[in-house]
Amino acid sequence: MSLLDVRNVHKTYDNGVEILRDVNFSIERKECLGLVGESGCGKSTLARCILQIESFDQGSILFEGTALQNKSERSLKPYRKNIQAVLQNPASALNPKLRIKDSLMDPYLQFGSEVNLKHFTYTSEVNFIGQLLDTVELPKSFAERYPHELSGGQKQRVTIARAISIEPALIILDEPASSLDVLSQAAVLKLLGGLRETLDISYLFISHDLSAVQEMSQRIMVMKGGVIVDSFENEKLFCSDRHSYTKELISMFE
Amino acid sequence: MSILSVRQLHIMGKQNHIVKDLSLDVHEGEWFALVGQSGSGKSMTAMAICQLLAPNLQAKGEIWYGEKNLLTLTSSEIRKIRGNRLAYIFQDYQGSFTPFLTIGQHFDEYQRTHSTLSKKARREQAVKALISVGLNADIYSRYPFQLSGGQLQRVSISIALLLEPDILIADEPTTALDSVSSFKVLQLLSKLQKETGCAVLFITHDLRHVRKYADRIAVMKDGAIIETGDKNQVLNHPQHAYTNKLIQSSPSLSRNPFKLEGVSG
Amino acid sequence: MELVIKKKSKRRWRMTVLFTVMATVLAVAAYTFLILKHDPALVNLGERLWPVSMEHPLGTDHLGRDVLTRLLLGAQLTVGYGLLSLFAAVIIGVPFGVIAGFKGGLIDRIFMRIADAFLSFPDTIVAIVLSGLLGPGIENLLLAIVLVKWVNYARLVRSTVITERQKDYVTAAKINGLSSFGIMRKHLFPHLIGNVLVLASLDLGKIILLISSLSYIGLGAQPPAPEWGAMLNDARPYFQSNMLLMIYPGLAIVFVVLLSNILGDYLRDAFDVKKEVES
Repeated sequence: MSLLDVRNVHKTYDNGVEILRDVNFSIERKECLGLVGESGCGKSTLARCILQIESFDQGSILFEGTALQNKSERSLKPYRKNIQAVLQNPASALNPKLRIKDSLMDPYLQFGSEVNLKHFTYTSEVNFIGQLLDTVELPKSFAERYPHELSGGQKQRVTIARAISIEPALIILDEPASSLDVLSQAAVLKLLGGLRETLDISYLFISHDLSAVQEMSQRIMVMKGGVIVDSFENEKLFCSDRHSYTKELISMFE
Repeated sequence: MSILSVRQLHIMGKQNHIVKDLSLDVHEGEWFALVGQSGSGKSMTAMAICQLLAPNLQAKGEIWYGEKNLLTLTSSEIRKIRGNRLAYIFQDYQGSFTPFLTIGQHFDEYQRTHSTLSKKARREQAVKALISVGLNADIYSRYPFQLSGGQLQRVSISIALLLEPDILIADEPTTALDSVSSFKVLQLLSKLQKETGCAVLFITHDLRHVRKYADRIAVMKDGAIIETGDKNQVLNHPQHAYTNKLIQSSPSLSRNPFKLEGVSG
Repeated sequence: MELVIKKKSKRRWRMTVLFTVMATVLAVAAYTFLILKHDPALVNLGERLWPVSMEHPLGTDHLGRDVLTRLLLGAQLTVGYGLLSLFAAVIIGVPFGVIAGFKGGLIDRIFMRIADAFLSFPDTIVAIVLSGLLGPGIENLLLAIVLVKWVNYARLVRSTVITERQKDYVTAAKINGLSSFGIMRKHLFPHLIGNVLVLASLDLGKIILLISSLSYIGLGAQPPAPEWGAMLNDARPYFQSNMLLMIYPGLAIVFVVLLSNILGDYLRDAFDVKKEVES
């Protein structure tokens, strides 16, 4: 049984645009699946559907065999501890009125009693936050700061810390490094790679940047116009039997 | 032959020294890349050239365009040059358009400031420009919110190059676009540059653009240029450790077999 | 750096003065009975219209009552009534606005129609009409004020909530398992409190003016209540001979309204976390 199953998912907007068409794939435990495509191809919509913050018209999304769609918020809640996210825009991902420590505590406050943490230990809030900040290589003093005092790269690290705080099975990473400059990007991707190893988390790594996807993922999917046009093992990226669109992307990046 | 010479440029805010003693030359018809991370002062430098700095910032030094020191010109004098001989495109493509004016009206504003064509002739010129950047003629009557980022940036380029300026300053024009749109916009820019022979001062943080298109590059860090030279020389034989770090961190497609932790730098 | 430090201590100093003054006003209003020597309602025609003296620091009014006593008691009434109606308006308006803004859809549309209805009339007119319909008396006036003012808070809060609920951190909170109520409480409330307090402190001045104005024309506090507006009304016939009788309550009103405006400004600065850090 896969960790996440996406089966025949369709979504059409009110204006007739088919944003997702017959999307099918699975994510296994401890793997990083990359999803690459240009803006507007539906990859972010797909992420939102998996996270159950957006509905879709047909198909099903299963977590360890249980369907997630059409569930009420209450019955969905237990599954939320297993699927977390790091979204694209670090500037708005943290509540500007709350200190970093308050934003970081959200997942634990909701699920702390239910999860069996292997990597982190909770003895006190201060201690817990300290561990989280350490893991993402930020100084403990950041706990008291407000988001506007942090740079883009630092904010993104905080959102990563928040996502890993309850050691979910799966994290959806939607363009986690795209709005950062090159040095911060490299650092964030390196951090994410390391965390996956240490915490045994699966990633769905979504990006428009093929080189970043190649760096992070064991398997890669290519999306165009709401359809997954190609899906392959990382090593097979340069094989001749790749889809023409994949080849087009490769040529842009070389 | 240098058409733009910056000499000992200093830009100061109320409490900080943003750009320190910066000097660079852009030669006729060349693609000059100014590379640096956010906060390095590269955008400020570009804005200083066109006198577009925020009022609380001060620029000192010399910026020579032909016989004129741009920093000493009055606002009416700089307006004659800006747009006409010196064009500028912004990173924030949405913000550089007025939301309630059509694309055509944006062209019009530009054309009326710098030329004396009739209304019909202006429209013809604009449509021709739109087509040359790969857009449809009907974009002329659309509003900015109806266009995608890539399309808007192409419109920016077409307006900027309309009057065939000597130098185009492109301030991170593709940073906010996805890779496919970026690629197309850069390809377009390169093509137009060769056709019109204008120089491009290209500001970016992404070395991949530099690798492909630039002739010469300068690397900026903390308000100063730490290395300048021919592209191949700087990228293959960087003199400075920071330059090397930037090169190493640049994500690139590798043809090597995939390594689980294959992150370099 | 010097400039920054100076600004900070100047602000601190202003804050302290403001708070001291406000605290004094409120203390005086609350504990007037401790310092009062005279019965504010006792009519003593033999002592009417006396000038300033040790016995009566501000003199007596046309019915022989001590002006200072009445003025201080009036603080209790004017400010008290103002705070009461303000509080009620906020308690009604804020939850209304939050729910409408957060839920959106049909609930929001219904709310907007109700709010539009209430907003079509200027508050002064509505207050007068309602008081007129229900009869003069302070309770009816306060009811009118609440009915008119709650909508402003609902709208203010609603627009903030609509802006913020689209932001990524609200999405993240949802993904982190927070319920709608949890999100409203932890993530949206901090955005609202600043705006609401600023509006409320500015409104306090307006409400006090409204209460005083309507009492002045006989629609609010009824005699012998020493509400400042009513005192102004009482002193009207004596304007030429004993101008001070009008000036005292007038100045008192001006003073409190000014204070509430200053407080509003201060609160707005205090709640801006960015400014707090920068200075």
